[in-house]
Amino acid sequence: MSAFPSISANTLSTADRARIDASTRGPVLLFFGSALFWLVFGLALETLASVQLILPWFLEGISFLTYGRITQAATTIFAYGFATPAAIGAGIWLASRLCRVELDHHKLLVSAGIVWNLGLLIGASGILSGDSTSLPLLCLPGYSTPILLLSYLLVAIWALLTFFRRGDSPLFVAEWFLFAGLLAFPWLFAAANTLLVWNPVNAPAQPAIAYWFAGGFVNLWLAPMGAAAAFYIIPKASGQPVASHHLDLLGFWTLMLFGSWTAGASLIGGPVPAWIQSAGVAASVMMLVPAFAIGVNLHLTLSGHYATVGWSPALRFLATGIGCLFAYWVLNAINSLPAVNAVTHFSDIGRALTVLAFYGFFAMAASGAIYYIVPRLTGHEWPCHGGVAWHYWLAAVGVGLIVIDLLTGGLIQAYALTNPIVEFRSALDFIWPFRFMSAVGFILLFLSAANFALLFAGILLDTRKNAAPAYLAVREADSTEPVAV
Amino acid sequence: MKKLPSLFFGILVLFGSAWIGVVAYSYNNLSVLEPLPDEETGGTLPPTLPGLAVIGEKVYAANGCVECHSQQVRLAPLTTDIAKELGKRQTVARDYLRRTTAFPGSNRTGQDLSNYGARNDDANAIHKKLYAPRSVVPWSTMPSYSYLYEVRKIQGQPSNESVVGLTGAAAPKPGYEVVPTQKAKALAAYLLSLNQSYALPEAPPPPAQ
Ligand code: HEC
Repeated sequence: MSAFPSISANTLSTADRARIDASTRGPVLLFFGSALFWLVFGLALETLASVQLILPWFLEGISFLTYGRITQAATTIFAYGFATPAAIGAGIWLASRLCRVELDHHKLLVSAGIVWNLGLLIGASGILSGDSTSLPLLCLPGYSTPILLLSYLLVAIWALLTFFRRGDSPLFVAEWFLFAGLLAFPWLFAAANTLLVWNPVNAPAQPAIAYWFAGGFVNLWLAPMGAAAAFYIIPKASGQPVASHHLDLLGFWTLMLFGSWTAGASLIGGPVPAWIQSAGVAASVMMLVPAFAIGVNLHLTLSGHYATVGWSPALRFLATGIGCLFAYWVLNAINSLPAVNAVTHFSDIGRALTVLAFYGFFAMAASGAIYYIVPRLTGHEWPCHGGVAWHYWLAAVGVGLIVIDLLTGGLIQAYALTNPIVEFRSALDFIWPFRFMSAVGFILLFLSAANFALLFAGILLDTRKNAAPAYLAVREADSTEPVAV
Repeated sequence: MKKLPSLFFGILVLFGSAWIGVVAYSYNNLSVLEPLPDEETGGTLPPTLPGLAVIGEKVYAANGCVECHSQQVRLAPLTTDIAKELGKRQTVARDYLRRTTAFPGSNRTGQDLSNYGARNDDANAIHKKLYAPRSVVPWSTMPSYSYLYEVRKIQGQPSNESVVGLTGAAAPKPGYEVVPTQKAKALAAYLLSLNQSYALPEAPPPPAQ
């Protein structure tokens, strides 16, 4: 497989790399730091909401803490407070490395980071105080989204400048994903806000557009950015080149095609034209192709070298994240079959899949990227490996509990909701114990995020100077570059 | 895959296909739907809404009711929605015509509300439910929206708008009354307006089994 380009050590000297890394320091740490703050805050709200689902009197009758508002705020904060800034932060570092240019637009990107967080603060406060639009993943009130788009415009200017400065070298697979994500996000976000929030089209046309956005947000924004990080960092940290160039091509192009067409599968039997539903079902089932192409490719890259996943936090989190993405796409394909969806739609299975995509895939993958990138920016290691291990296990067990409970409970609830001879109340009774377990899962997730935020504060403040790298186990294999500095 | 421009155009074409197929198609075909004349009443289908119901939609959005309630009766016999008596026929795009925002929903922690107005026409019953859900349905997991109500001392005569029939812990202290705010009244009007009992040519009721 020497025919295809790989970023090997000999194209970039250690000193060059260190210079590039150092140049991205300010903006990347700003995006990562704010992302972690919002992750903790969003999960605190998510935890309260999950408790309210089992104990409805909990914090009842307080307008800004009512269930509907805090779930919407939590989802919004995850999507735009954590996921998007984390993706942008990782994107900045990846683009500088991949294009082999030092970052020289600090002010542009730092302003972008500040404006973004300001916009989100206004938007999230708006949702809690009663200005939510209640559209899926688009709850942000219309007065806050222009601020976010302005911030993204600054990021886009930087991205254009960087991609134009890159030499004539061939594009590495991580670069395709990065480029696609950075292109898709503004398209999705600006179009959906224009058509649904600022100047809404007539209501009959809205559901299809809303789910075009919601599907695209995961498949064309989060997935490509997570894949970009995985396709760059996994080969780097494990010392293995990406296994197959053909699978790269297949995974990337099928993701672009099918990922953008899944909308109709969220409205099966619903108020959109039948052919949009059929196209959505077909696309969601065909998502098995990129799922297997990407999953198998990364598996083959790591196979025989899975020991690295044992000691490297970055690899462990990234591999878990990609595993969850694979599981999400497979489960989503099954859940999109009309006969299945007719029963499962409107049950907690939908919530389980969202948690799998958001916290299982993206939060895990982004954490892996942050573990890899940050020591290279600060010049020293993560404060303690015990904290990293706690972060990993709390997150993994938390996601596992939520997803498994809501999937099994959701199946029973779905049966009660659709069987004509079962009364409505049974659906609530059946799901209760499973929602109880998922609330426990959210508490664990919250603790894992708080733990991660503390580690991040620790590495910034450099509490333990020159401590050894925070490996999770004894390091066995060798990677193409030292883990830090 | 050597050059950036070919990557760019590749993405543009694939992404553009869905943009045209899903977004532009919906925009061109669904946002131009017109109301149909109603031969029986001389009005239109779907019927026009009272102004208060239009305002109530904003209250519905502001409080995230859509997180627990759907508003779509799905196709039969693929789904059992009609057998479950959520409605007499499937919900179609035209049913949303009088709304500013469509709330098809994605979770049924509570019941589907597409035809709530056909099941209940009593605003006071809605106020009781929103003010104190478990005083009406003890096993309900719906949160209270008591912040949309004002508990105040009765001045002379009780207000003719006050919520009547509140029992148990939900009942106001003697000499006090629970009065819906403007938002609660609008929300109740919105809920009463949720009613798809009219016939549309594109959604004939399924033949009785
Ligand atoms: C936490 C989930 C939840 C939220 C949020 C919620 N509800 Fe409910 N709702 C329920 C449940 C569960 C029921 C069924 C039990 C009952 O009747 O109280 C219900 C029942 C109802 C009913 C009676 C339906 C029928 O067919 O009898 C109405 C009307 C209603 N809700 C309106 C609302 C409105 C309006 C809002 C927003 C202000 C809202 N709900 C928010 C859970 C919720």
